[in-house]
Amino acid sequence: MRQEGSAVRIGARSRIKSPWLFHLNTGSCNGCDIEIVASLAPRYDAERLGCVLVGSPRHADVILVTGPVTRQMLPRVIRVYEQLPEPKSLVAVGTCAASGAPFIGSGVIEGPLDGIIPVDAYVLGCPPRPEAIVRGIVTAVRRRFS
Amino acid sequence: MAALAALLASLPAAVFLSLLFEGIDRKLHARMQGRIGPPVTQPFYDFAKLLNKESVFPSSSSKAIFASAPVIAAASSILAGAIPLASLVAGTSVVGDLILILYLLTMSSIMVMIGGSSSGNPYGAIGFSRKMVMLIGYEVPLLASILPLSLKSQHSFSYHGIVQSQVGMGTCFAFAYPSSAFAAAAFLACIPAAAGVVPFDVPEAKTEIVHGYLVEYGGPHLALARLAKDAASFALSFLALTLFFYHPPLFEGHASLGGLASAILCVAFAPAMMFLTVTVPRTVFARLKVGQAFKFCWSLPLTLSALSVVLSAAGF
Repeated sequence: MRQEGSAVRIGARSRIKSPWLFHLNTGSCNGCDIEIVASLAPRYDAERLGCVLVGSPRHADVILVTGPVTRQMLPRVIRVYEQLPEPKSLVAVGTCAASGAPFIGSGVIEGPLDGIIPVDAYVLGCPPRPEAIVRGIVTAVRRRFS
Repeated sequence: MAALAALLASLPAAVFLSLLFEGIDRKLHARMQGRIGPPVTQPFYDFAKLLNKESVFPSSSSKAIFASAPVIAAASSILAGAIPLASLVAGTSVVGDLILILYLLTMSSIMVMIGGSSSGNPYGAIGFSRKMVMLIGYEVPLLASILPLSLKSQHSFSYHGIVQSQVGMGTCFAFAYPSSAFAAAAFLACIPAAAGVVPFDVPEAKTEIVHGYLVEYGGPHLALARLAKDAASFALSFLALTLFFYHPPLFEGHASLGGLASAILCVAFAPAMMFLTVTVPRTVFARLKVGQAFKFCWSLPLTLSALSVVLSAAGF
């Protein structure tokens, strides 16, 4: 029993220490996308927390979703979310992904995101600051993986 | 018996050192870019995390090949790193000679290629064809660059024999003969391509063909495929150090501890080799196109190794 406990602890700790990110744009204006890149660049350097931006959803642990989820993107958001191997976590980056504003009520918007797939952390801002994005990743990872 | 025990002990040591070397490489890479960078232990967290994740098999993949290829790749890379280590510790030739070590490194590349092409993903297939081109590019100069060493070591391809002939000469091969100096330069110039790091990472270009042959891998299989790559760069930097830069006054002459002391010294100096051949190129250069990468391999390293073979045949 004790052995199993320590194995589970190592698993949880390694998941918290190594969140690999997949970035999904669901109709964002590109402002949040630039800030995500800024949070990985030398000034904020999210890699010091183990965050690496990966190209394939199969490699990722955390999806960063930007944009208000347009109608075209709805099936694709669900599909990409399902392509991540378990356990996985999701961060809604920017006001659009978090609440749909200012596009809420529009006929071409299917958001906000939390009506479609489970969201672990919301990062507000238009666009959010890089340190807020790093904080959002850390919050989501702690909530979901520990 | 002692040789076998040394090999068995070297296998976990090779796994540990491969991950540690990746951590050192990532830290140095980050520092050179003005970042703080991940902790040196980061690859251990990555490895443990990936082992604990779900593995997904694409419905279009051939499952048996897709699942077994990374296992064979990791096993061959780790063995390629463990054989030189065990051979230094035991002070004798272990299992096979240099040809086997280089063959195991090629095996590891071929296995991840096959795994990628069996995934059924078009990016995996592109990764396969690009890796094939790179393999043809760097294998020829890499293999040719060890020929002069064999000629200078009583026509032996034994790894231990080559290391010992440097002890016999009292100096390392990189400074002993003109031919072996050119061979060292050719070997070092091949390492970035053989390790698949940035200027030559065309087969798994992340921003271009989404990790190429690794695209469909996730969880434990990805952990093993990445370990295969780490172990290959560990094995290559360790081989470069011991084949060409095993300077006897520095690495030999600790009679009380024997082979273990020189193995530990070599492991301590191998990160310098890796820094020179893996970290610096991947920080300084941007990714080449596949044609440019192939052209590089068949111009500079191949010229150097051809020159070294001709010089050693002429007796220099």
